Amino acid sequence: MSGRAIELVVAGAIVGSMMAGTLVAQTHKELRFNVGAKSNLSVNNPYGSISVKPAPGNTVVVNALLSSDKVEVDSGQTGNRVDIQSHLLPGATPESGHVDYEILVPTDTSVSLHSATGPMRAEGLHGDMTLEGAAAIVDVRDITNAHVHVKTLDGPVTLTNVIEGHVEVDSLSGTVTLNRVTGPLVQVISTSGGIHYTGDFGDSGEYRLTSHSGDIDATVPDSTSADVSASSVRGEVHDDIPLQPKAHTSYLVREGSAFVGTMGRAAVSSTVVLRSFSGKIHLRKRTSK
Amino acid sequence: MNCVELQQSLAEIEDGSSAGQRAHLETCAECSALLAELNLITAAAVDLRAAEEPSPRVWNSIEFELRQVEAELNLIAATAVDLRGAEEPSPRVWNSIEIALRQEGLIRPQRASRSLLPSFSSRWAWARWALPVAAMLLIAIGIYVRQNSLSHQLAAELAKPPASAAVSDAAIAGLNDDDLLQEVAQLTPAVRAQYADNLLHVNQYIQDAKGDVDANPNDEEARRSLLAAYQEKAMLFELAMDHPSQ
Repeated sequence: MSGRAIELVVAGAIVGSMMAGTLVAQTHKELRFNVGAKSNLSVNNPYGSISVKPAPGNTVVVNALLSSDKVEVDSGQTGNRVDIQSHLLPGATPESGHVDYEILVPTDTSVSLHSATGPMRAEGLHGDMTLEGAAAIVDVRDITNAHVHVKTLDGPVTLTNVIEGHVEVDSLSGTVTLNRVTGPLVQVISTSGGIHYTGDFGDSGEYRLTSHSGDIDATVPDSTSADVSASSVRGEVHDDIPLQPKAHTSYLVREGSAFVGTMGRAAVSSTVVLRSFSGKIHLRKRTSK
Repeated sequence: MNCVELQQSLAEIEDGSSAGQRAHLETCAECSALLAELNLITAAAVDLRAAEEPSPRVWNSIEFELRQVEAELNLIAATAVDLRGAEEPSPRVWNSIEIALRQEGLIRPQRASRSLLPSFSSRWAWARWALPVAAMLLIAIGIYVRQNSLSHQLAAELAKPPASAAVSDAAIAGLNDDDLLQEVAQLTPAVRAQYADNLLHVNQYIQDAKGDVDANPNDEEARRSLLAAYQEKAMLFELAMDHPSQ
């Protein structure tokens, strides 16, 4: 065997042993908690993913996959509240302290998820939820009648099919995408991240999409009923949908920098405010396919 | 004779031996029982009188105590009569009281003929008045000077230009940028750079929002934008503090 081949074999053996060592060090842990109605779940996982899905019954089932022995799962239950914490031991790194959680909860459970790296995912619930993570990718879908609070530094946020929700999203530089999100209040604040909304703004409610330098893009169908006001101090504003102009406005409407008006039926409509300083604002019409 | 008449007659003839008593007793069981009880008590009383009589020593002791109490009461009565007649304690009493108070330090020797106020009749009266008058003049002058200096200081403060916006934004509501950078100093360079970059953006956001409010003071949306900008900065600090250390 040539020297080169020997080197490759040795390197492969080293890599294989490392991987094997990693796999051996991974441990799986399952925890079960019996809870009552409207229970609370809190998960604090510095490094790793958190996924929360609904399940029938009154049991919270936590499946945790620990990457090494440098992290352990601390858990506790106080009444109707379950707390899960990834406890980093001395010497833990983002890799060795990595834990992936898959959690099944009753649908009316309120959840609070924290992870610096994420991703974090919640679906099919109608309890209140809070998701916070600096760089975490956040994905929330199929939520009804719930308060949804999301905070990220630059992690992208996607909300899909959130109905009758009280939604507040804060992302400094992450892109925020809202698909079919309606409710009494939908508020998105971003410093430099873009905001994309696709939906019909419901039939009543307050929708505020605010960004400093990020672009704001709203795509709505013809059937949308909304009082819309949009302004960008230094950016451009485009409106593809004809609006009935308003007689009075609280600020000067400069063409190209702002537009104000009503689309659809004024009697049944939501209030939509699109505001940016240097980003572009575009109100588009959704074309039916 | 009836029962009442019988009971009344027992006071004179207590053994029921008269004809009328005998006739009633023969027909009245109650009065017969009553007479029998009375005879029993009489017999027992004679026995008691003989058996339970205290000894003479007991009676002597009681008499002695009673005589002592009588003597004390007589003394009190006599003293009260004397007090009523005199009303005023004797000088010797007062002297004793004064001596006791001086010993306790409650009475100080009185200075002979010295008043707090200087006398106008003496030759050096004007000198005695000079010191307090001079003190009052000095106090009045001091108050005047102090008031003038305060007004000048206030005018100087008002004339001073306002502090620069950059300084106030760097430490607005306790959110000091240096604190944030120090908080993330131990993170990886890539993460530190993310926080620093976002800090720059959010500070610019605040500056722009402030400018918008200044330009459009009646625009509620402008004020909301400013609030949102501060909210973003607060969130940046919160995420930095919650970020796991590496």
